[in-house]
Amino acid sequence: MKAAAFDYRSAGSVAEAVALLAEGETRVLAGGQSLGPSMNLRLARPQRLVDVKRVAELRDVAADDAVCRLGAGWTHAEIEDGAMADFSQGMLAQVAHGIAYRAVRNRGTLGGSLAHADPAADWVNTVVALGGTLVVQGPSGQRRVASEDFMLGAFTTALSGDEVLVAVELPRLGAQARWGYHKLCRKTGEFAKAIGVAVLDPGSGLARVLAGAVEGKPVTLPQTAERLREGGPAAALALLPEEAEARLAHLAPNERALRVVAVRRAIEAMAEG
Amino acid sequence: MQVNLTVNGRPHSLLVEPRTHLADMLRETLNLTGTHLGCEQGVCGACTVLVDGKPQRSCITFAVDCGGAEVTTIEGFDADPTMTALREAFSAHHALQCGFCTPGMLVTARDVVLRLGETTEARLREELAGNLCRCTGYVGIVDAVTAVAAGRQPQAQQAVVATAAREAAPLLQAAEREATPTLMPAGGAMLEERVALAAAPEAAWAALADLRRVATCLPGAQLDSIEGERVAGRVGVALGPIKASFAGTGSVTLDEASRTGKLIGRGRDGASSAEGEVGWQVLPGAGGGSTLVVQLSWRLTGPLAQFGRAALVRDLVRRLAQQFAANLDAMVAGQAAPPARPLGLFALLWGLLKARLLGR
Repeated sequence: MKAAAFDYRSAGSVAEAVALLAEGETRVLAGGQSLGPSMNLRLARPQRLVDVKRVAELRDVAADDAVCRLGAGWTHAEIEDGAMADFSQGMLAQVAHGIAYRAVRNRGTLGGSLAHADPAADWVNTVVALGGTLVVQGPSGQRRVASEDFMLGAFTTALSGDEVLVAVELPRLGAQARWGYHKLCRKTGEFAKAIGVAVLDPGSGLARVLAGAVEGKPVTLPQTAERLREGGPAAALALLPEEAEARLAHLAPNERALRVVAVRRAIEAMAEG
Repeated sequence: MQVNLTVNGRPHSLLVEPRTHLADMLRETLNLTGTHLGCEQGVCGACTVLVDGKPQRSCITFAVDCGGAEVTTIEGFDADPTMTALREAFSAHHALQCGFCTPGMLVTARDVVLRLGETTEARLREELAGNLCRCTGYVGIVDAVTAVAAGRQPQAQQAVVATAAREAAPLLQAAEREATPTLMPAGGAMLEERVALAAAPEAAWAALADLRRVATCLPGAQLDSIEGERVAGRVGVALGPIKASFAGTGSVTLDEASRTGKLIGRGRDGASSAEGEVGWQVLPGAGGGSTLVVQLSWRLTGPLAQFGRAALVRDLVRRLAQQFAANLDAMVAGQAAPPARPLGLFALLWGLLKARLLGR
């Protein structure tokens, strides 16, 4: 099918995009790799799109020794190819490589994926696993939202209708840091059935374990993460089933088992790496 | 709208509607029918073309969004040495039968050969996974691309963008949250949600038994008529980019003794239909309050059902049930329910299932 009729505007700056959004009935178009299919199938019929693809600010990269701030407009393929200096010990590049297909990665963006907030999306889970912060700009300026508070549920975020996601702040992982990322897919490039992420940075004390994908917000496993910090991967694996049972009690047993397997493999990958 | 772009080396200035995707503009306006359209949802890869040198899906790229772009379609590779080698290899290795996938397959294969050089078969198959072929079983395609890639070096990586030193604030900590509440296990397309109400069971049940009042508590629901057990109404949903509304009918049964109610309903939106059942029960709760148990089951038919992912719904239903309970509590306490917003139970499920597209 073809998309329903809509008006198209291209914004030259975030401020211009915000002003257009404030007029109402407008949605942001970034890469359009989720919005495009939805519109072709007439599931989404926005009256107007404001295209932020040409907004230079969305490609800013800034960093200090603890935090890196990545503009929302970078494509998955650019992150995969290492278009900016790596601060994640290779984690972002590998996660990006696993998103959909190269032709989609060449157009889809980091910020677009986060704002779309599909529970199975890789960036949604990665940013929460790293304990990142999202930078959002609206009519009254910028505000920062902790990644765990950004996604409210499937396809629903803390963004209001006149706000644009402009950047993501992520911790710089030290040379001693290890991470594991595992997603269960039956076919390359399809939506994950389950995602497991584990990150441990002895230098900064960062330890996070996350079970993601499927129905809603990613679920963090703080006790397993604490074990990871204190006793390493083996200790974390020992506690994982128990905490998963409690934290993922809302899932059917088969779905819970998929998450546990994904997280276990992420932790195991970390031990091997 | 006017769009200026270059296609296969020739500049064009074209008038297109914003809704026209790049593939349609190439095929219908420029008569470049080598670009094929299969799924029109970014999955099959048949429409893959180069935009500014990078393979992209022309079916989920709007033409107006290509201002200033250099587009190369399968017709634009006549003089390209890599493509010439691929064409010959595809022929030699029987890498096509009907040819429908071939334009997209070649554009992707050329990018893989140039970008990665000689690589493993596993990596090659992974890279080609975004282009579907229903004839060959991929063996011939993989052989052809392997032959062309043999001995080649990968392209140099892009220059690294300089990172500017800037003072970044410390990362925010998420607000302290309670653990996810435990729900009953849900099998198939069914789930249960329990919500605590401040109102006593009698008062809560009395409120729930009044359907018109209940409807005001269910966000987005609008009750048009009640005739005996038959109800008719409509619900709307706004979820992310998805907006849908549908009209439906249902029947309601209430059992005073056990304080249970049941609504069986069905609705239509275009070619798809949804039917479902909501059951509710009021149980005595802690501290003189009550517990509202909501059970939900549903079935989807029609073209949109294939996108369904039942587990997705749970998170939304939990939030909806909590909102419903808050509104109900307010109503029982004599406060006005907040104005209904477009969000309904069935429509919510439906919108969610429909949203299971390329949500990446």
